[in-house]
Order: sequence, then structure tokens, then C-alpha cells
Amino acid sequence: MLIENIKTAFTQYKNQAEVSGFSVLREQAYQEFEKLGLPTTKNEEWKYTNLKVLANKDFESTCISSGNVKAFLQNALLNKITANKLVFVNGTFNLELSEIIEKDNSIFITNLAKARSLHAEIFNQHFGKYANIENNALNSLNTALLSDGAFIYVPTNKTVEFPIFIVNIADSSDVNVLNQPRNLIIVEKSASVHLIEMYYSLGSNSVFTNVVNEIYANENSHVEHYKIQQQEGESYHNNFTQIFQEANTNINHVTLTLDGTLVRNNLHFYLNGQNCNSLLYGLYMPHGNSLVDNHTRVDHAQPNCNSNELYKGIMMDKSVAVFNGKIMVHLDAQKTNAYQRNQNILLSDEATVNTKPQLEIFADDVKCTHGATIGQLDEEPMFYLRSRGIPEDVARKMLLNAFADDIAEKIKIPELVTLLEEEIEKKL
Amino acid sequence: MLSIKDLKAEIEGKKILNGLSLEVKAGEVHAIMGPNGAGKSTLSSVLAGRAEYEVTSGSVSYEGKNLLDMSPEDRAREGLFLAFQYPIEIPGVSTTNFLKTAVNEKRKYLGLDPMEATDFLKMMREKMDYVEMDKSLTSRSLNEGFSGGEKKRNEVFQMAMLEPKLCIMDETDSGLDIDALRLVSNGVNKLRNKDNAFLVITHYQRLLDYIVPDFVHVLYKGRIVKSGDKELAKELEVKGYDWIKQEVEANS
Repeated sequence: MLIENIKTAFTQYKNQAEVSGFSVLREQAYQEFEKLGLPTTKNEEWKYTNLKVLANKDFESTCISSGNVKAFLQNALLNKITANKLVFVNGTFNLELSEIIEKDNSIFITNLAKARSLHAEIFNQHFGKYANIENNALNSLNTALLSDGAFIYVPTNKTVEFPIFIVNIADSSDVNVLNQPRNLIIVEKSASVHLIEMYYSLGSNSVFTNVVNEIYANENSHVEHYKIQQQEGESYHNNFTQIFQEANTNINHVTLTLDGTLVRNNLHFYLNGQNCNSLLYGLYMPHGNSLVDNHTRVDHAQPNCNSNELYKGIMMDKSVAVFNGKIMVHLDAQKTNAYQRNQNILLSDEATVNTKPQLEIFADDVKCTHGATIGQLDEEPMFYLRSRGIPEDVARKMLLNAFADDIAEKIKIPELVTLLEEEIEKKL
Repeated sequence: MLSIKDLKAEIEGKKILNGLSLEVKAGEVHAIMGPNGAGKSTLSSVLAGRAEYEVTSGSVSYEGKNLLDMSPEDRAREGLFLAFQYPIEIPGVSTTNFLKTAVNEKRKYLGLDPMEATDFLKMMREKMDYVEMDKSLTSRSLNEGFSGGEKKRNEVFQMAMLEPKLCIMDETDSGLDIDALRLVSNGVNKLRNKDNAFLVITHYQRLLDYIVPDFVHVLYKGRIVKSGDKELAKELEVKGYDWIKQEVEANS
């Protein structure tokens, strides 16, 4: 049973760990998790996403991997792109499979475990400061049991020339595995970086990946952040990302959920300064009995900021999607522009979408809109294509590709877009 | 080529076509005119195969085949083309990709191999000149952000690419200024030959100054109530439709 597995894993950690600020934080996190337990559907935020199936399984927090990860990665799309690559297998940093091509030594692209001692000052200043553990069971769980993850530090005025891939592979060849990746990204003033989180799985047992990302964007910085979820087989994935934006920052975020049995994304933006731009894009294409749940939250805490959000879903078979987008416009956040849309196409009578766009506005001079659509492919474009001799099935595919590619094209790396569009086409 | 006999059609229980008959032979241009609500657009929709319209009786034979039995895509691949009154915008589908698919689907249907990419691009360039279409438009999404004139030129460009036998032009002149009208008409005139036929549906005579028809038919209350040559169109331009309506009411 998951709860007992977690207890065992934490006890093991505690028996080995030296007492430090870090171990104290983890102890606190574990206490919080123990108090809260796994979220249930009685919790409004988890109304449509039931984790019960996880609770009744056994998972091991193991770093053992017997699958052929190397061969797997050679065929993965990231192998076709010139980039920095940090590879983690079952939560453990794999130096051999990783590749850092950045030549500037002032830019740190490394693993968290190493950074904790090597860059202790930066680590202590930022770690755990953005992702809340209080009243958040899964963030607490990650903090209590985290093994490793990416640590990226881009100093003032620096631009990381090539994208950084943070690759997580869950290998369940031997047992059901529980992974707790934890990434900390600090982008200093006027710096910029392209980050891509990628999630894969191999092996025939179950995978539970519970991620926490903390991204700090200091003034005037620019962050491109993409999340590509392609965990196949029986895989459960919870992803919490807190992006903390200081003044004059630009963040462009894209989540592509292309696979996974149960995927829950929690994407939180906190706009802590003026003139921030926050873009949130998402695409999910669940099939079979899978479930994809996107919870987003944008906190407009300061005036004169813009946020724009567009999430699209293509629903197949008996799949379920949840979209819950919250925009909080705080009292001081005058002249906020916040837009939010969720569009869904149902390709099956048995698919379900639960969508809830939410606005909470405490300022009085703002422009905010939100909306959601659930429907089938529009008849008019279908007829237009068919009237030119394009058969119905080909026409449908063209229109669905266009609908999905719209989101993929928000990614600013053309060669990655091309590869992802091929992946999308395969799913349709 | 096209033989419509006593065609009756309705939409959502509302009868629109009430026994329409029409014969079109290869090499001919027929204009269908008529007041608003006469059934002009319904006729084009029924011929192109829009599912919302229900044919309740009558027959449409196209090149000896029962047109009404065919899917919209089969009609197109058999050589029927509808130039839409309101061509829609399709974001995310480029004009080039769309036309390549359409051309090759038609070739596949006819048992031909797909076109070589270079041949296809050459053909695109040639056909774009028919309507003086801006080259940059083809890399953009289909009709997205196009002006009204550009959309109609794109329809005629597609017509040129697909080389249909029977072209139905549904109020192609609506919303066009005089320059765009001339470009569109010139394109159509270049495509006219002894093997194809045109059905030009219009409310106004203006278009027929440029695309000169062999026959003019007046559609009223879902039937053709008067036929003539191009002089009939000019008469309608001067006198309007009221005298036709009166003639019909008097005879009934």
C-alpha cells in the first residue's frame, strides 16, 4: 500500500541522513503529508481526479533500473536536437546519459544533490521558497522523499545559448516505481533560458511520478518553459510548477500531455512585479481510459501585467479531462489584462470534459475574460475540405492537426515543433 | 453533363426547391438569377452535397451518374466544384498543404500517382497567375485574414488547380469591388472551354458583363420560371424582379 511504502522510504532516509536544515525541512514535509494523506475526491480541487487506484498499489522508491534506457533515449526525439541534457532515471541523476554543451562556467546546469553542497548559498536562498508544502500533500510528499532533480542557475545578463532538456525516465522493468523529481531553476536579472521538461517511461509495471518545479524569474528575465508528457503504460503523474515572476519578466509556458494513465498538472504563476507577461498554453489528447487534469492558477499581485491562457483538448475513447483555471486579480493589481480559454473537441460519445474557468477579481480597473467550449469538429470547415475532394477521414485529421498544432507552435524551437507535430499526428 | 429533373428539397421542414428542372451541356455557361429567398443558394448546396438539405423528390444526373447518391468528396473528385459565397477561414491548414491534399486525393481517386512536389509547385505558380494572386497567400492558413476579394480569388485559383468539369459559382460577385470582380471573371474566362460547364448563380447582372452566359434562368419560389439568353439578364437589371413575380402569380 502506497502510504506504508512512503513511510518505509522516509524511515530509511531518516536513518541515514545527517541532521541539517534540509533534513528538518523534509521531516516537516513528511509530518504534513502524514497529516493530510493523499487527496480524495471530497477535496474540491480533486473532485474529478481520484487517486484511490494509487493508494491500493505497492510502489518502491528505488533508483534501480534494469531497462535499456540508453537505447530508449537514442530513439527519443530529444536526441535529434542540439541541447543541454540532464537525464534522471528513477529520480537519480545519470551522468553518462547527460550532456552539457554550455561553455559559460558561470551558468550552472547540474543536478540538485550536487548543487546543494556546491552552490549552497543559492540553493538555500531559493529551495522550497516557492512551492508551498502547507496543505499540499503531494508537494509535501515530494519534499520529504525527493531524490534529485535539475538545478539551473542563469546569472544576470546571461543567455543560455542552447535549450536545456530535463529528462525524467521512470523505469518500471522490475517493480512499481515511485519517483519524486524536484527541479529548481533560478533565472537572474535580464537573463534568459529555454527549459524543456520531458517525461518518459519504460517497463511493464506501474509508475507514479510526483514532480515539483520551482522557477524563479528575476527582473527583466525571459523564460521559455515547456513540459512534454509522454509516459506510456500504466503511469500516474502529478506535476506541480510554481513560477515566481518579478517585474518586467516574460514567461511562455507550454504543456503537451501526449500520454499517461492519469496526469495531473498544477501550474501556478505568481506575478510579483509590474509589467509581467505570462503565457500559458496546454494541449491534451487522452485516449483509452486515461485522465488528464490541468489545474492552473495565475496570481496577479501587481498592476499592469498581462496573462493569456489557452488550453485545448482532443478527447478520444472513454477518456476524461479536467480543466480548472483560476485567475486571481489582487486588490492592487489595477490595469491587469487576463484572458483565459479552454477549448475541447470530443471525438467519442463516451469521453468526458469537466471544465471550470474561474476569475476572482478584487481590483476595479481590469480587463479579464474567460470561456470554455466543448463540442465536435465544426461542420463548415469539414464540408469545405470535402467539397474539394478530400475524404472525410483525411479532412478530420487535417482539422484536428491544425487545432493541436496551434498549441505546439507556441514552442519557440522550430525543430522541436516539427518533431512534436509528428508525435501529435501519430496520436490522431 | 448535368440533368436536374423536378427537384424538390427542404431544410428543417421548410420547402425551398419546388420542382426545379435544368439541363446543362459541356461548353455552356448558365446563369441562375432570382430574388432573395428564391432558392439560389439551396440549389448550389444540394448540388455540392450539404447534408442539412433533404431532397424529397426529383433527380440529378451528372455525367450519367446519380449525383445525389455521392458523398461531397466523390462529387468533387468526379469534377464538380462549388465556389462558395462565403469561403470560410481554416486556421492552421496552409493553402499549399490543403491544395496538395485535394489534388492528390483526386488523382488517387482517378487511379493516378501523386504529383511530384516540383510539378505541383510549378502548377501552383501558373494557376495563381490566372487570378493574379499574391504568392505569399499560399503559405498562410487557408483564407485566414484574407480580404473578401482575396477569398474569392482563392476560390477561382482552387478551381484552376482542380480542373473541374462543372463549376458552380454561388454569388461569387457578392462583396466584390469592380477590380476584384474583373480579376475573378478573367480567371473564370480563362478556364472556360468546350469540355466544361459553368453554373453562375447571381443576384445581379453586373457579373454577367464579364462572364457572359449562354443561358439565363430566373429562379423564383424554388422553380425556374423563365429562361432566355443574356438579354434577359439585362432586362432584369432594368426592370427588377417584380414583373416576373407578377407573371408567376397571374399564371398560378
